[in-house]
Amino acid sequence: MSRPMGRDFLHRWEGNPIVTLEDIPYRCNTVFNGTPVKAGDEYFLLLRVEGQQGYSFFSLARSQDGFHFTVDPEPVMLPAKEGPFARYETRGIEDPRLTEIDGRYYVLFTAVSNWGPRIELAETTDFVHYERIALISEPGNKDGVLFPEKINGRYARLDRPIGNNIGSIWISFSDDLIHWGDHQLVMTPHSGYWDSYRIGASAPPIKTEAGWLEIYHGIKMTRSGPIYKIGSVLFDLENPSRVIARCDEPILSPRETYERIGDVNNVVFACGAIVEENDDIKIYYGAADTCICVATGKLSHLVERTLESE
Amino acid sequence: MPRKVTHDIIQRWEGNPVIDINDISFRCANIYSAGCLELNGKYIYLITFESLNGCTHIYYGESIDGIRIEVDDRPILSPDNTGFLAEYEERGILDARITSFDSRYYIIYLAKSKHGFVLCLAETEDFKSIQKKGIISQPDTKAGALFPKKINGRYARLERPNSGGSIWISYSNDLLTWGESEVVLSPRPGYWDAHHIGCSTVPLEINEGWLIFYYGVKKTSAGFLTRLGTAILDKENPASKIIGRSNEPVLSPREPYERIGDIQNLVFSCGAIYEENSTIKLYYGASANCLCLGTTTLKEIIDTCFESEREY
Repeated sequence: MSRPMGRDFLHRWEGNPIVTLEDIPYRCNTVFNGTPVKAGDEYFLLLRVEGQQGYSFFSLARSQDGFHFTVDPEPVMLPAKEGPFARYETRGIEDPRLTEIDGRYYVLFTAVSNWGPRIELAETTDFVHYERIALISEPGNKDGVLFPEKINGRYARLDRPIGNNIGSIWISFSDDLIHWGDHQLVMTPHSGYWDSYRIGASAPPIKTEAGWLEIYHGIKMTRSGPIYKIGSVLFDLENPSRVIARCDEPILSPRETYERIGDVNNVVFACGAIVEENDDIKIYYGAADTCICVATGKLSHLVERTLESE
Repeated sequence: MPRKVTHDIIQRWEGNPVIDINDISFRCANIYSAGCLELNGKYIYLITFESLNGCTHIYYGESIDGIRIEVDDRPILSPDNTGFLAEYEERGILDARITSFDSRYYIIYLAKSKHGFVLCLAETEDFKSIQKKGIISQPDTKAGALFPKKINGRYARLERPNSGGSIWISYSNDLLTWGESEVVLSPRPGYWDAHHIGCSTVPLEINEGWLIFYYGVKKTSAGFLTRLGTAILDKENPASKIIGRSNEPVLSPREPYERIGDIQNLVFSCGAIYEENSTIKLYYGASANCLCLGTTTLKEIIDTCFESEREY
């Protein structure tokens, strides 16, 4: 018997988790934080895999239905060992986010080195081969997502620099994807709420009639460590630094065993979503830094829910 | 009779400090550092003052001899109270570094707010009025200095993102959007500049490369010790290699005015003037409390950058 009200706004798929260590055809430590793309009828999931050595890299999984995935035999992107990117990837590459802009696929990810995390840009045509384009932030920045189209003629991105020890969401703009400016603060942590400690962009923004829907992550700090939850916010279509409505409650919180227990307990962390033609939205999220799950809902309901918050 | 050992390569002016809070016509809490420039036979300064309410402003000062500095009684640059920048300048603006570039003057200053520190750009032709151009970094980034000419066809700046405590370089075609950031100089474990470093003076082009003074911080159980050192960076690609770097500081806090103040044990510079006779006038803030002057020569500073490692 199904209850009318779930414990969370999003519905967990019954078969969760969808990708675990058992699905990776080579030896590694964990798999988590995957970014999805639907190209034609095929679903691709670019996965963050942490090797036994302790640093992360990317593998590719494929699916026909968006729920049952098969992981390719070898990783598709490893930290650069030589060339200009190598010194900034010595501690691995993390948390990819794929965005399609005018038929080209870009991935933003976090390059980690002794100087801290930076945002890096690469491009792919087949999700197997990646061409690094540029490091596009200074150190101390992560959670970069590209908007899927230009805004007022310029590329736009969200990211999460640390200022005054506060982790807020900022926006920047660019003509060439390489040089960025017009930095602005978009949204800060919400004191006293579930997202009071730090926030960051999670999925690349989704264009809706009500505005840019951003699925973000919010962290509350407790005595026993952080709790990562998923929330939603709408930004103005023309001026995305303006918040139209921000959910006052998370849309997904760690509750299931696979979200509570793992290398990092109490984490649900999305890196992307697929919107289907029938209004279904599939949100792919890493759970407890140990597996990948999917949660579903209706895009229109999610937009309504976000608007109701104000 | 033992020779008197000069401990610091920078010679303090015997009349230091050059400006303290008793020298000015208005009340304030503190005097920080100053960006400076020689212009039409005058020395001009953009000096950071902390007002009694804790907010910082930038004041214009000028001098004929580099010692007696006349300071305006109103700030030339203040935090915006309205408009886009107000939120980012809420807690003050400070640390102006002036770059002369094709008969224009660019200023990179620091804006402080509850959201952290960001670099901002301003521009002037005459120092009578200064136009703000906007935010050019994300938080927390400090110590921004624009190179006085383009490098490989692009504007370049040095800066200090908080993460990693190192000096970085970024490039731009338009001065407003920046990218291609690379690390230039990092802290050295075990040294006087072990904890974090940042660029002090706008890079000076010399035969060997780009010369900068930088500040280096060591963490002690009683807090930070901030000293000044120098480095020479590669002319064509400053991030590619370090041509020279002082193993020892060129100036360390020793005098009471450098030891005692709101920030103890601090010498911190935002500008130097390079005279035609190769003398360097280095202006530095001491203990976030007063502005001081030190002098040296270009030769001594270059030699220090190339000095081989000494054991004692």
